[in-house]
Amino acid sequence: MWSKVYTGFGYWDVYTWLIFFAIAAGLVLWLRSLGRKDYKEGTDQDEIFYGGNVVPEEGSEIQVPASSAYWGFTEALKGYYEVLVEMHSGDAREYVGYMVLTASVLAVLVLL
Amino acid sequence: MRKQEARRPAMTGNMPFLVVGILFFLGLYAILFERNLIKIAIGITLLEASANLLLIVLGYRTGGSIPVFTLAGDVQTMTLPTPQALTLTAIVIGLATSALLLSLIMMLYKHYGTLDVREIRRLRG
Amino acid sequence: MNWNIHLPALIIAVPLLGAFAAPLAGLGGKVTRNIWFVAVSIATVALSIMLWQHVQAEGVVVYVLGGESWNLTLPSGLSWPIRIILEVDAFSAFMAIVGSIAAMAGAFFSLRFMERFSGLDKFVSLYFLLMAGMLGMELTGDLFNFFVFLEIASVASFGLVAFWRDRPEAVEAGFKYMIVSTVAAMLVLIAVGFFYGRYNAVNMAAVARMMHFGYPEKIALVFLVTALAMKCGAVPMHMWTPDAYTEAPAGVTCLLVAVSQASLYGLFRVCFSLYGASLGSSVVPWTIIVLGVLSMFIGVTMAVIQKEIKRLMAYHSVSQIGYILLGLGVGLLALKDPQAMADYGFTAMKGGIYHLFNYTMYKGLLFLTAGALFYAAGSRNLNDLGGLARVMPHTAFMFVIAAAAIAGLPPFNGFVSKLLIYESTFAVYPVLAIAALVTSVLTLASFVKVFQTAFLGPAKSVFANVREVPATMLVGMSILTVVVIGLTLLPTWSLANLVEPAAKALVDQAGYISAVMGGGL
Repeated sequence: MWSKVYTGFGYWDVYTWLIFFAIAAGLVLWLRSLGRKDYKEGTDQDEIFYGGNVVPEEGSEIQVPASSAYWGFTEALKGYYEVLVEMHSGDAREYVGYMVLTASVLAVLVLL
Repeated sequence: MRKQEARRPAMTGNMPFLVVGILFFLGLYAILFERNLIKIAIGITLLEASANLLLIVLGYRTGGSIPVFTLAGDVQTMTLPTPQALTLTAIVIGLATSALLLSLIMMLYKHYGTLDVREIRRLRG
Repeated sequence: MNWNIHLPALIIAVPLLGAFAAPLAGLGGKVTRNIWFVAVSIATVALSIMLWQHVQAEGVVVYVLGGESWNLTLPSGLSWPIRIILEVDAFSAFMAIVGSIAAMAGAFFSLRFMERFSGLDKFVSLYFLLMAGMLGMELTGDLFNFFVFLEIASVASFGLVAFWRDRPEAVEAGFKYMIVSTVAAMLVLIAVGFFYGRYNAVNMAAVARMMHFGYPEKIALVFLVTALAMKCGAVPMHMWTPDAYTEAPAGVTCLLVAVSQASLYGLFRVCFSLYGASLGSSVVPWTIIVLGVLSMFIGVTMAVIQKEIKRLMAYHSVSQIGYILLGLGVGLLALKDPQAMADYGFTAMKGGIYHLFNYTMYKGLLFLTAGALFYAAGSRNLNDLGGLARVMPHTAFMFVIAAAAIAGLPPFNGFVSKLLIYESTFAVYPVLAIAALVTSVLTLASFVKVFQTAFLGPAKSVFANVREVPATMLVGMSILTVVVIGLTLLPTWSLANLVEPAAKALVDQAGYISAVMGGGL
């Protein structure tokens, strides 16, 4: 419409995107309004499903900790991650060592 | 005395640049392969010294006198004054850096109890 | 002769005055120091916007420090410039605006964030010195002056990273950053020495005029590219970035992000304006592209597994720098060939430069929200946090905006710059665009993890007394949010008026040279 960003291969228009988003949001809200209205908040209907067990009061017992997020991803790339985390050893001399290594590789490439 | 004049002059020529290179690699070796933090700091000082020496040597002109108009007398060439100014700035910067580096090393010793760079690795991964 | 001509010198002088007068302002107590802190930051932003307008009107602006007249670059018939000359073209003015907005946001944030700690006079002084060093790096036209400002900014940042001296990790981070940074600065000094030895000049325009690509220039290029890429946080020299960005106080991290952009500015000033046409073969552009792709991928894969929120964001910082290096590397690759430049090179440069602005804004905002979480909840470990969106709704809202922007979700500004980079790098080599897309997906993944663990989830009892952060911290974060939303809604204006003149100024080496060499009486 009125403010397109032309890349060399197409264009991007913020306001068109926002209009489409508004239309989609309207559809979603209309679909939600077709639900049942006899819903009581604060009673047992509101609780999460915890496998049939009693939901603990303390929130920290039912939260998945951040260390176990994306376990499948890290497990699948275990070989890559072991090498990569070993390289980030925290030894200050390696920080300078990588810079000297990059400078020498670049020097060989540029000077030849 | 005759023998000394007949020899090639060793002060000019490429000798100073060789010394710059030797100092540079000595400093780099000290930073990369020494374990004691103080020795790493000394390596950094050597590196700074090599850079300053390079700047000074670049300003020299063979047979040149001091670059002061009123005191040089009747000469053909003067050494260049600009790299001397650059080197003074770089020496002062090196001084500030060394002071901060040594005080950080002192605080590291107070916190970790060791000056071994392989022990000071709580931040990793 | 209006006073606009003195703007380049004023922009460096005002933060320096702020730095040296901060202890005086601190004598009046907390209130005067805070007022001084905020006033000088706002003044710097205003001056940088005025400088940008001045450069838009006049083209490349020069300022001779200490000369008889402000534009007497070649005095009395000399053919080489002899004084320190500040040279501001559209790219420099753009960087100055970006840096000063980030500095102002960090300043507002640090007013309340740092109030529990002592030594705040020195904090304000160091902060302004860092700001002055960053702005000096971006506005100078002289290689040795660039080195001096680089060292000013570096030493100030060493002090600020190690500011919480009672934490061993902070001192360790400051020390490691210092070792790597000093070696890099010595490499820069040696490169400047090579230039001086060959051409008897350290002015960038004079050296660019006389440049011909022999062995010393090649070695100087290698040293400069390596040292400046290290200061930005490009892989494999990036390992100081997680340490330093994590342990610095959050407002300082926001400014450190802007300072690493100043080193990126130096890298591209060297490649485009100093070497430019005499860059030789395409080894250096391809090196920058390869470093960019490595940074993107290694940065984001290391970020997914982190447990500490600021360390995760710092690894993302490494990966976003990869995007900018990729975009500008493709532009450098197309520099020789006008057809390639018109096809994809200029779009890549626009994408890279726009991404620079976007990245500084949303990354600064992310670090400030992490600092807000630390201030309110007292922990930076994602395993401890949880359910904080109920009590910190404003912080959560701004975090969502920043996380959507960094992940490149439409409609935010991150998407626009990434779109430009994707499409132009696809035309060079499809693998580059694929790497960029995979990085975007992994970025979204890690920020979903952060949002879910820190903000969503059940309320924890240890956080029963957590309240929203104080108003000045919210003001600091909202400055950046407003800029992000503004860039989202007005992409064509920002691209046409901010980014395109900057990209044109980078490509135009002849204009850069003639602004200094053609001037004077």
